[in-house]
Amino acid sequence: VRKHRQHRNLFKNKGKDETTLRRQRVEVSVELRKAKKDEQILKRRNISIHLEENNPFLGQHKADEVIIPLSLDEIVDAVNGEDTHLQLLATQATRRILSRQKDPPINQIIELGIIPRMVEFLDCADNAALQFEAAWALTNIASGTSEHTRAVVDGGAIPAFISLLSSPHMHISEQSVWALGNIAGDGPLYRDALIACNVIPPLLALVSPATPVGFLRNITWTLSNLCRNKNPCPPLHAVQKILPVLLILLQHEDKDVISDSCWAISYLTDGSNDRIQVVVKTGILPRLVELMDSPDLIVMTPALRAIGNVVTGTDQQTQEAINAGVLTVLPRLLRHTKPAIQKEAAWTLSNIAAGPPQQIQQLVSCGLLPPLVELLDKGDFKAQKEAVWVVANFTTGGTVDQVVELVRSGVLKPLLNLLLAKDSKTILIILDTISNLFLAAEKLGETEKLCLLVEELHGLEKIEDLQNHENDMVYRAALAIIEKYFSGEDSTDLEPQIGQDGLYDFSVEKQDFNF
Amino acid sequence: LLFLQRVVLLVASDVDALCACKILQALFQCDHVQYTLVPVAGWQELETAFLEHKDQFKYFVLINCGANVDLLEILQPEEDTYFFVCDSHRPINVVNVYNDTQIKLLVKQDDDLDIPAYDDIFRDEEEEEEDSENESDGSEPLEKRRRFEEEVIERTMKRRQRREWEARRREILFDYEQYEYHGTSSAMVMFDLAWIMSKDLNDMLWWAIVGLTDQWVQDKITQMKYVTDIGILQRHVSRHNHRNEDEENSLSIDCTRIAFEYDLRLALYQHWSLYESLCNTSYTSASLKLWSVQGQKRLQEFLADMGLPLKQVKQKFNSMDISLKENLREMIEESANKFGMKDLRVQTFSIHFGFKNKFSASDIVYATTSLMENIEKEGPETTNFIKALDSLSRGNLDKLHQGLDLAKKQLRAIQQTVASCICTNLVISQGPFLYCSLMEGTPDVKLFSKPVSLCLLSKYLLKSFVCSTKNKRCKLLPLVMAAPMDVEQGTVIMVGIPPETESSDKKNFFGRAFEKAAESTRSRTLHNHFEMSIIELKTEDRSKFLDALISLLS
Repeated sequence: VRKHRQHRNLFKNKGKDETTLRRQRVEVSVELRKAKKDEQILKRRNISIHLEENNPFLGQHKADEVIIPLSLDEIVDAVNGEDTHLQLLATQATRRILSRQKDPPINQIIELGIIPRMVEFLDCADNAALQFEAAWALTNIASGTSEHTRAVVDGGAIPAFISLLSSPHMHISEQSVWALGNIAGDGPLYRDALIACNVIPPLLALVSPATPVGFLRNITWTLSNLCRNKNPCPPLHAVQKILPVLLILLQHEDKDVISDSCWAISYLTDGSNDRIQVVVKTGILPRLVELMDSPDLIVMTPALRAIGNVVTGTDQQTQEAINAGVLTVLPRLLRHTKPAIQKEAAWTLSNIAAGPPQQIQQLVSCGLLPPLVELLDKGDFKAQKEAVWVVANFTTGGTVDQVVELVRSGVLKPLLNLLLAKDSKTILIILDTISNLFLAAEKLGETEKLCLLVEELHGLEKIEDLQNHENDMVYRAALAIIEKYFSGEDSTDLEPQIGQDGLYDFSVEKQDFNF
Repeated sequence: LLFLQRVVLLVASDVDALCACKILQALFQCDHVQYTLVPVAGWQELETAFLEHKDQFKYFVLINCGANVDLLEILQPEEDTYFFVCDSHRPINVVNVYNDTQIKLLVKQDDDLDIPAYDDIFRDEEEEEEDSENESDGSEPLEKRRRFEEEVIERTMKRRQRREWEARRREILFDYEQYEYHGTSSAMVMFDLAWIMSKDLNDMLWWAIVGLTDQWVQDKITQMKYVTDIGILQRHVSRHNHRNEDEENSLSIDCTRIAFEYDLRLALYQHWSLYESLCNTSYTSASLKLWSVQGQKRLQEFLADMGLPLKQVKQKFNSMDISLKENLREMIEESANKFGMKDLRVQTFSIHFGFKNKFSASDIVYATTSLMENIEKEGPETTNFIKALDSLSRGNLDKLHQGLDLAKKQLRAIQQTVASCICTNLVISQGPFLYCSLMEGTPDVKLFSKPVSLCLLSKYLLKSFVCSTKNKRCKLLPLVMAAPMDVEQGTVIMVGIPPETESSDKKNFFGRAFEKAAESTRSRTLHNHFEMSIIELKTEDRSKFLDALISLLS
């Protein structure tokens, strides 16, 4: 029984494998992000002051532009002409059009066919203003759809931008970092194309204690895009080069830098166990656990994601995370006000609960059961579903004693309440969990008492109702439990008692029930 | 005001608050509302009382306290706790004004509050949070980002606008909070409430009158405001007491009659001797400069001018010859005019219980104040409060008389202290304000550790000083007065009062000034009183505190 495979094992018939389950989560969030993207894009970025300061051309150009507004035709003529002053004006006009907040006409600009010319401008080392304007314009074209990005790449921009990373002008270098980030963010194909063009060494060379924080944020973001995406995941040699720098960035004081570094780590850990191993080996887990406990959501979220990914790995990798202290931070996160954090924390815990009994024991001794029961009882529904997984994995892999401890912590009541959920998948897991509990009870010879407890907590009536459930599997699972544990002669004997004053009778018996 | 649950009444220690409390108690009795009454002398007690009761109670009525601070901030109540605030302290804290869920203010509609507009002082947080929210929601970074041009400019613009707005906000709030003053008496507000509910009784009306008179005696409101409010109450008085104008029915059902009067501005004279009253009334004593030998001579001349034999003047007013009393007011006024006392006549009310007992509204104010600040310990902390509250009921004549005796003592003590301060030049000009400090060991100094008594003393002293000094600049200065508070703890109580001028708007800036001075010198001070212009501080911090105050106000 293992990790997300755990989910699958309980659901063999549904045929969803581990990757699809996981992908689902990611995809949903991507969709949400896309919906917000237009709105977000307005705020996400930040332009550091040094751009203004370091670019003496900017102010002058603004003034020029007010005087000479150019039409698209004029732009094409000027860009293709030989007058360097007009080239600059036209490139700058293009950049301005592409920088306006609403509906930048990226397609129109691409159709003008001026991209190759702009890429040429990137090489004009003697005209820094022109290089900068062209870099900015191309950055914004590459920020659009895949098609838009392709237009830039096809224009030959990759080598040009990579060589500009080493520009003596910091604002040009920074703009190139940004452009390359957009290209890398398009997907694994261009990401690997960049890596093949040796983007990493000059990019990493930009990181130094003297790098202004705004610049550093751009570099970190671009690095995170170079670690991002699967199918395939980034080449191992690239990852090995980037990781040491990420470790340094994780120690930075700026929380945006830390955040994007954590995201990068989370991408690197979102993969096979040997990829997880590459990250674990660096010894970064204690720092990640520390960041999980950060008061800033932008830091906490990716750190939690990264650790959550690590504990999907081998028992040894999971043990490393436990040794790094993940179990001491999780109670707080399970009680976090943000449902998304609750959910991720519970997901993380579910994979620890899927481990061997020693790890389950650590989970218990670190006091995770009370927050788990609270979450099960009052958490956000998505988080409750993950909490159900925790319980399910716990009852599958835990020892009888551990299962007794779990029931003693009060897990049964909220668990049975969740049988009223609308989600049949969740109901099925709960029914499976209940079967696991009965298996444990049988070993102790306490089946009858568990029956009474379930009944007292109004679980029996809920399970009985589930026999009318539209989902055939739910129906069958409920029926199986009823037939196996609640339909014997005992239960007929019990009936009159229940009819009278059942609740009180059982609560007395509960006193000496082992659970 | 529909209370389904028990409520807590938190009542400040001033006569107006007591009167408002009496009216509300009577209303509660009508409606069978259960309540718990807790006297609170200052912020600390208010907080303690709230903490003690917040678990069992959801409704709190605050009388003459709470309006001028951010209640939610200092009390941190649960969301289902509600405060009904009836408080004459101004300015009202803006958060209280614009909180429409937990804080209900009982304020007279036509009071001129000059509250800043909502949009000028509050800003919907959305705008600012947009940025931070998106930056802090923990979502994954974007795959691609476009670089904007306008952003730099827009951000600076936004930031600049925001800075300007904030600067303006500070300015508006500074103007609004700069001066402390008083609005309509809480007793009057409470009476209005009773009247609107058609539950107003003559007793309640009397308490409203006493509440207003308290504001006048304590010099909390302008002459203009006093006269206006007297007019309002006069209409209620004639409505309630008109049947008594008919001679035959001069005995009302409950033997109580309230009458409007032009009376003499002589403290307690109907329960004292005319002579004592003349000597111990701030107005006459200051005008005649009674602390000097010449002043005493002037008093004799004044009495002679009226043609009143000294023997008559010095015996109990009740025992004076009826023939003398008949035209007494007119005679006194006429002579007073000659001696430069043009305002000896005041509009006020009196109450008759049957035939025998007659009290003027100011008599009650003096008596109740003295009971409340009685320095002879007679039991637990709340004894004085309860006694003072009881003295307001008609049935408690003995308490009232005890109060009158205490009041006479108090007025004498004040007058003697004023005289000695002036004769020994204890009032000194510090530049921006006058300053007077009472030494430990001064007679009656213990009495002036109490806020209301100290304020009365300060006001009487300033009046007398203005009459005594020839320095024209000094006549226009406010006064800061200090008295020992707790010798063991080494603390002094300090009060600041506005200048004594004809056109005074009674607005007091010392509250803010004290706060700033304390902050800048890190003096160990305690702003415990509901009047912000009263402060307690460690004796050894006094001089640095004063230095800071001087440089602040210079």
